[in-house]
Amino acid sequence: MHLDDVWQRYRRGGPWVLSNVTARVEPGGIVVVLGRNGAGKSTLLQLVAGVLRPTRGRVTDRPAVVGWVPERFPADQAGTVTGYLRAMAAVRGLGHAAATRAVDEWVQRLGLGAFRDVKLPELSKGTAQKVGLAQAMLAPPDLLILDEPWEGLDAATRDLVPGIVLEVAARGGSVLVSDHRGETVRLPGAASWTVADGTVTTAAADTGPRCVVEVAVDAADLADAVARLREQGHHVLRVREEVGS
Amino acid sequence: MIALTRMRLHGFVRTGRAVAPLIAALAVLSILYGGGQAEAGEAYGVSALVAFPVLAWQTKILLDVEPDVQRRLARVALGSAGREIAAGLLAAAAAGLGTIAVALVMPWIFGGVKGEPSSLLIGLGVHLLALGPAVALGALSCRAVTRTAGMGAAVLVTGSVLAIVLGLQGSPAPWLVPPLMAATRFTTSGGTALTALTLAAHATLWTAAAAWAYARLRRDRA
Repeated sequence: MHLDDVWQRYRRGGPWVLSNVTARVEPGGIVVVLGRNGAGKSTLLQLVAGVLRPTRGRVTDRPAVVGWVPERFPADQAGTVTGYLRAMAAVRGLGHAAATRAVDEWVQRLGLGAFRDVKLPELSKGTAQKVGLAQAMLAPPDLLILDEPWEGLDAATRDLVPGIVLEVAARGGSVLVSDHRGETVRLPGAASWTVADGTVTTAAADTGPRCVVEVAVDAADLADAVARLREQGHHVLRVREEVGS
Repeated sequence: MIALTRMRLHGFVRTGRAVAPLIAALAVLSILYGGGQAEAGEAYGVSALVAFPVLAWQTKILLDVEPDVQRRLARVALGSAGREIAAGLLAAAAAGLGTIAVALVMPWIFGGVKGEPSSLLIGLGVHLLALGPAVALGALSCRAVTRTAGMGAAVLVTGSVLAIVLGLQGSPAPWLVPPLMAATRFTTSGGTALTALTLAAHATLWTAAAAWAYARLRRDRA
């Protein structure tokens, strides 16, 4: 899939959210999308998913089956968990038997069994997020787009996400993941796209040896320091509080 | 596309949003037929005219039920903006047919009309003439296009008022609006088969033009 000189703004005459973006995702490739809040990560992911049409430029060779997990799953709608997932499976063109199989598989894998008959608006944020993940996986995606997938998930499900990503990639699918929690450290070999000031800087997957440098920063400057390091293409592995500070 | 149409109709009914336009339709019908028995053909002409804003409003409500992000998820799941847009219009048309069935049958049940049962066909025709334009106008006023509730209401009300005002006899631009008033005149004063065909062609062209505008706007407004 290829983004060819893509520009995006939300209204005529408005500021460009993204400009002159040219990037490529190969089949089986994993891309981590980095950037500060409001940098345009979600906009980029929605352009890739086909939710948004570029104001200028074009996105070509998008695979037929795309799974998109939005940053916040819209739980404010009618139906139960299984009712919703079956309906979405039908929208994806799955027959009754295949839809039932797919829904059962993902309900079980994501630990949604106890919530099968719960209405969507009654779900907690984390459980709703799991439904969002499940709907994207009902038909095995050739392109999986995860917008902050770890947000709101419990530890057990957070641990499942890298496995799902690697599964899709192993099958030849492409995966784009945005993250500001540093969880993408669990995706070794991923390329990175850094979104800053309306542009996207791409970096190939790490292949050579790397060193770990421990840096101490003031707590008040933490977010800025982490964002700056990522913008410069460094991989922030972990953030911890200093004991006794 | 059919699965998404079904999902949207399901949401429209299950959330209870279908109730308000149905009550509005019943209220309008009560006022229309409350004065005594009317000739079915003529009454249906007026009924189709007053059903127009109700059907347009119903379309807006149906299309606005789905959260914005869910509408985008549906577009990604279908893999086609065109089919996602068409599924919404189809769901609105199906819901409109339900309302039209009520508008056609209720007056017979409560003795509001007299005449041959065959006049039901005239009634169906004239209501279908209003359905396409109403769905297109309602779609143009939906949240995905207009962004704000105020703008949505403005599009809906302006469109409905213009349909009547510019449809009056002697209007300088009757072709700008769907032929609702002309259809009402047709059912009350009569006309030839050619007139009926012209009305149908006018309504179809207007629906196609408005639906095309809606689809163009929605391509960039997921």
